[in-house]
Amino acid sequence: MNGINRRVRLAGAAACLLILALFVQLNYLQVFHATALNDNPLNTRDVIAQFSQPRGAIISADGVTLAQSVPSKDQYKYQREYPEGPLFASVTGYFSFIYGTDGLEHEYNSALSETDASVTLPTSLEQIKNFFTTQPLPDDLHLTVLSWLQQIAANQLDGRDGAVVAIDPSTGGVLAMYSNPTYDPNLLASHNPSVEEKEWQALNTNPAKPLLAASYRERFFPGSTFKVITSAAVYDHKAALANKVVPVMTGLVLPDTAGQVLHNFAGEACGGNLLQLFTVSCDTGFAKVGLELGGNDLAAEANSFGWDKVPPIDLPGAAASYFPPAQSFFENAGALAKSAIGQESVQAVPLSLALDVAGIANGGTIMAPHLMASITGAQGQTVSSYQPHPWLKATSEATAEKLTKLMLSVVNSPNGTGVEARVPGVEVAGKTGTAQTGGPYIETWFVAFAPVPNPKIAVAVLVENQPPADEYQGGTIAAPVAKAIIQAYLQKESS
Amino acid sequence: MKPVPWQQPARRRSELGMIVLVLLLTGGLYVLAGLGQGGGLPAHIAPFFALVLALMLAAHVALRRLAPHADPVLLPLAALLNGMGYVFIAGLDSTEASAQATWTAIGIACFIATLAFFPQASNLERYRYTIALVGIGLLVLPLVPHIGEDINGARLWVHIGPLSFQPEEFAKVALGIFFASVLAERADLLSTGTRRIGRWLVLEPRYLAPLLVAWGISLVILLAENDLGSSFLFFTLLVSLLWVATGRWAYLGLGAGLFSLGTVFALDVVHHAQTRVQSWLHPWSHFATSGYQIIEGWFALAAGGMWGLGPGQGNPQVIPEASTDFILASIGEEIGLVGLAALLICYLLIVGSGLRVAVRSQRSFSTLLATGLSLLLGVQVFVVAGGITRLIPITGITLPFVSYGGSSLVSNYILLAILLRISNDNANDSALAAGRELFALGSSAGGEGARAGAGRQTEVVAL
Repeated sequence: MNGINRRVRLAGAAACLLILALFVQLNYLQVFHATALNDNPLNTRDVIAQFSQPRGAIISADGVTLAQSVPSKDQYKYQREYPEGPLFASVTGYFSFIYGTDGLEHEYNSALSETDASVTLPTSLEQIKNFFTTQPLPDDLHLTVLSWLQQIAANQLDGRDGAVVAIDPSTGGVLAMYSNPTYDPNLLASHNPSVEEKEWQALNTNPAKPLLAASYRERFFPGSTFKVITSAAVYDHKAALANKVVPVMTGLVLPDTAGQVLHNFAGEACGGNLLQLFTVSCDTGFAKVGLELGGNDLAAEANSFGWDKVPPIDLPGAAASYFPPAQSFFENAGALAKSAIGQESVQAVPLSLALDVAGIANGGTIMAPHLMASITGAQGQTVSSYQPHPWLKATSEATAEKLTKLMLSVVNSPNGTGVEARVPGVEVAGKTGTAQTGGPYIETWFVAFAPVPNPKIAVAVLVENQPPADEYQGGTIAAPVAKAIIQAYLQKESS
Repeated sequence: MKPVPWQQPARRRSELGMIVLVLLLTGGLYVLAGLGQGGGLPAHIAPFFALVLALMLAAHVALRRLAPHADPVLLPLAALLNGMGYVFIAGLDSTEASAQATWTAIGIACFIATLAFFPQASNLERYRYTIALVGIGLLVLPLVPHIGEDINGARLWVHIGPLSFQPEEFAKVALGIFFASVLAERADLLSTGTRRIGRWLVLEPRYLAPLLVAWGISLVILLAENDLGSSFLFFTLLVSLLWVATGRWAYLGLGAGLFSLGTVFALDVVHHAQTRVQSWLHPWSHFATSGYQIIEGWFALAAGGMWGLGPGQGNPQVIPEASTDFILASIGEEIGLVGLAALLICYLLIVGSGLRVAVRSQRSFSTLLATGLSLLLGVQVFVVAGGITRLIPITGITLPFVSYGGSSLVSNYILLAILLRISNDNANDSALAAGRELFALGSSAGGEGARAGAGRQTEVVAL
């Protein structure tokens, strides 16, 4: 029996060695090698942890929940929901397991996912209970955007491709920002990878690029809306040109182009001083003004209005409007003439155009655009609130006042191109734009602000892919949209 | 007078104390896991406590009645492992959790039944051929058409009506009993050579038959059922028992040789084995396929680190088979290296207690049986945990008492009952011996000691 017992003990020692080997290997995996494993790119635990935490809500200025986390029964514990569906997709973005985050979900990810840091050690029985049972909650994001105004913007576009951006000129707060086409972020936030992948595929193969929000991520030909900038350049650099009368013409031979002729829209003849040119949106007149102004002054003015600069909005991937550098007009005056009326290579982002007119409405100062109004903690306390601050000093107060007069004339004059933006009892300042894209369709614009004086809202409206017609379609297609927005907002404001 | 070992209700008293401790530990863990998952207190906390208490008390009372002198730590350790396992299974899947609770009840019932049916371990020896036949019958059961089922490439499951179980789990106990009884009888024959070939005395080939039969069985299981883990388990069981019984190192050598041969053969022929070895050697390059599980297991372990994320705070759902084969990774994620070390120590204590039972036994069958069963448990833990931590290739077997799985739970409770039965036998044997001693002392010296000794002896006999 002794021999057996000795061998049983030896077997016991062997078992100890096996367990010891396990312990050593566990030490390696859980302690020594743990950092490398945690940082491994194949490791999705971080993302899963994010999906397993409650995430803060995104709430519009009128108290509508745009994004929220609700408990879910599957492996991620919480499901991100966008109760408004596609309406706010370009603002909120998405929170996707496979494709990450976009929009505000991306920009304010840390605020939305970080839990309250003010967790202290419990000292009373009640606190002990809470310590164990209440989950630390993330912060909520409150926006300047009004859900009902956003809805009006969507209704007004009525499925047509385009964008509506409405801004409070005095704060830079975005009141509405809607883009068509849009998408349903709920599908990208699905916990079912095949739903997610299918939607992602569909969105990325869609030629209209729904993920590329037209309102702040895409550039379009601005057409005549650029005449606002050209006029500003006149007042700021060569004020005398404002009163100079340009002869009435139907076509202008462009210099440096071997005889290319620029025609007015629909073959019209027009001329006059700056106010007259602006009111009817005279292409030949503004081309002439641009030529006399010179490339340096025009480029400088565009720059001071924020062209070629990415607006500092709290959204990822915002695009900058494009105006060519002054030297590109050297010995290429034809390009200068066309650029002065928003043609050639000039391109505008709807957000930037809205900011430009907001700057004019705000006495020449463009306030930094923003969507965040405040961030509140789990107990509703304000963690931080947005402090409005200027982005650019675009122009002087005097110039802004003169530009306002030009824009008022567009809406108020009987021959103005923007008469359809008139709002009873409200002075609306605006400018139309109708741009050929080189394709069979045109883009129509209307930029505006109201009321004058003391504007409360500045708007840029873009309606894309419209069939061309013999009229200023910026005035017939885009202006009514802007009018509806302005009217609704000011009515609600005053009531 | 020194305390006499068999007069120890103290053993049961300390067992009861430890059961209360286990109840507090698992109950606390359950509450923390519920809170950690953010759902507040677990919904069925009161029934949970009541059920655990009732089951453990039933087992405890059965031991008081049926094996009062058995080792006091084995049952509480098993209960702790079972309770911990339940908490983690409950965090993963509530239907699995209620099934596990049912299986625990059945396991305890089988535990009590085993103790009741076999008042002495030697009773098992009497039925060894029946038991062996049942064991082998159970092993081939999954191969029977219509009732066997493939899961994850291995044919381990049997479905009969609403019941489904893994017969291998029961077969391992049955074969353990058979091997122990055969070896207890033939140890002498197997330890010395009787046939002369040239200068060497070699073993009578027919005595080697059991070894070859076992090797054959393990190969058959491996080939037909793709069950690498179990075939390894059976083979280790037999080879180590052969060595313990005979003391011939040659058996270990021969066993290692046959095992290597079997491995080479398996790698050549069994596709399943090739995949397992590939994902063992190069898990990262097989991340999308066969290496996924092990790497997700590692990520879980690494996320847990030293102290763990806290009960209920992890995301063990990511790992495939998180509640069965990979439950160790789920546990390591939530209670960390410290928790896993405690878990390993629990197993070490069970194996150690089992081997102590083996050493204390005066009968070679009991010694071999206790050794075999303890090693089975220990090797099984190593095979599972070694697979998860990549010490060895992954083989889908369960972590005793912890993993989700009825067959595993029930068979391990039966295994535990047998260990406790042997332990009780040992105490009785030594009490008898002590009684005889006292009796002899008493008859020569006369007086009180003799009466006391005689009285104790009758008590022992009455048991």
